[in-house]
Amino acid sequence: MLSESARMTTAEEAKFRIDAPNSKPRAIKVIALDKRSEEVVKRLAKASWNKASFFTSLHFESPPQAGSDWSMKAWLNDLAGRTSKLVDEINSADLVVMVASAGTKAEAASVIGEACGLKRVMTTALILDRSSATDEALSETLLHLRPYASMLVVADDDDYIESMLVALRA
Amino acid sequence: MLRKEQNDLVTRTGPGTPMGQLFRSYWIPALLAEELPENECPPVRVKLLSERLLAFRDTDGKYGLIDEFCAHRGVSLWFGRNEEHGLRCPYHGWKYDVNGQCIDVPSEAPESGFCQKIKLKSYPLVKRGPVLWTYMGPAEKQPPLPEWEFALVPENQSFMSKRFQEANWLQALEGGIDSSHVSFLHSGDLESDPLFKGAKGNKYNLGDTKPVFEVVESDGGLFIGARRNAEDGKYYWRITPWVMPSFTMVPPRGDHPVHGHFWIPIDDENCWAWSFDYHSTRALTDAERNAMRQGKGIHAATIPGTFIPTANKNNDYLMDRAAQKAGRTYSGVEGIAIQDSSLQESMGPIVDRTKENLVSTDNGIIMARHRLLRAAKALADKGVTPPGVDTAHQHVRSASIVLPPDKPFKDAAKEELTVRPGVSHASV
Repeated sequence: MLSESARMTTAEEAKFRIDAPNSKPRAIKVIALDKRSEEVVKRLAKASWNKASFFTSLHFESPPQAGSDWSMKAWLNDLAGRTSKLVDEINSADLVVMVASAGTKAEAASVIGEACGLKRVMTTALILDRSSATDEALSETLLHLRPYASMLVVADDDDYIESMLVALRA
Repeated sequence: MLRKEQNDLVTRTGPGTPMGQLFRSYWIPALLAEELPENECPPVRVKLLSERLLAFRDTDGKYGLIDEFCAHRGVSLWFGRNEEHGLRCPYHGWKYDVNGQCIDVPSEAPESGFCQKIKLKSYPLVKRGPVLWTYMGPAEKQPPLPEWEFALVPENQSFMSKRFQEANWLQALEGGIDSSHVSFLHSGDLESDPLFKGAKGNKYNLGDTKPVFEVVESDGGLFIGARRNAEDGKYYWRITPWVMPSFTMVPPRGDHPVHGHFWIPIDDENCWAWSFDYHSTRALTDAERNAMRQGKGIHAATIPGTFIPTANKNNDYLMDRAAQKAGRTYSGVEGIAIQDSSLQESMGPIVDRTKENLVSTDNGIIMARHRLLRAAKALADKGVTPPGVDTAHQHVRSASIVLPPDKPFKDAAKEELTVRPGVSHASV
């Protein structure tokens, strides 16, 4: 007589796995941190997504200062050119993906990362175009991203971000 | 998640499939060398990449891996007689050499030349280290022999085992790339297993149970770094390389041997979990070798005479609910290998990835699938040689190392992540 484990792991039994949705769409905010990444994000935004939204730049009413109230000063530009408060976007996010090109300073990561930290929103940082940057330049980017990213990916090509978003059901 | 067509593409490795073509670009482990221990020993049935084969070692010590079935009436040559430079079918006496060439058909006159017209499909079978390797792709594209460090060090420095796993190869591989499960499923083994305990790095692991992960592409595949806080603002890194299609190496602990895996498809619903241990500069001790044979570390105790784990799905993996409740093991299953296989087999033979909900810490898995799919398509469409075929990609090591906080680990630990003969692994 087969054990329950043996029986349940057959291909035949696998067919009886309930075929019903087991998750709700997650709100994923993808934010480009520099001009090069903006091109990638703009291209991605043209595809069809479940609940992903794309932002191309971070602007400040005034330069962020240490200890300042970031939430009132940081804004995102969405692709339609409308502006929205960073804090509002973070509030409605399940995951924030920051996209930076290797070699850029990605300074906006601190503002976004702190906001996500306060709101307990997970962050992923994606560094593109690694092959075109020196080790020193990549170090600079990492220095700014590491404290604020709970997952960091260094990819050689731009098409990874699309695979990642599809895999995350964005 | 993967779309159904992507899941089918990446999990199917039979003849004529894109992923099968990819696997047929590499030298892959076929048998343990000890399975063919002497000349004219009994042949061994082998199924790889959904092809039924037979391995044997002839009178001169030459290894052969040929179509399992006699060209005459389809009898399994496993019943054959291994004698005088060939394997003879016991049904009507047809005889084959290690290249699958028929060399005798007793019913036909030798002068007829009939047997020269009969040849079974065959693949090269070569011993390197404790493994017999085969290459199942087109002869004109056969790459140089594999140069994995564990297979090149003196044999007293290396140990290899294999176990049968009833799951698609990719489910097993993804377990090797998924570093985040270690803090849960394998917690408890760190300070008790003789092949792990006592290393200084264990303190970092136990002191920081929420590592941050970084995934970095390499020429041959990926490096997956798990970062924990160390002293003076530095980071303790555990860096796992994945080389395409299915090689991973676990970061070392102290002066323990370093270990790793290959996951090789038997067919689409079963795979071999190959598990190696080696030390780059010293012989393994008797105690280490005995522990490995007993199924410690990443190895598994198997039913004598087979490669089927003693704890398997037919006995519910010897599930111990009391141990689970008491926290002696996290899942109730004992041993790292069976902890992994029990869960991977529970998904069913080929898990339906359209139903999964990955999270950001799964980026290692996402990237591996991305690269596998990309490489399979590039090979099928344009004949591009996939990563990992170049032996330079195989000269890779795992590492556990403390680094400054601003450095890319792949560059800062470049030497430590590369094979340096005569130099030990970077290990904390």
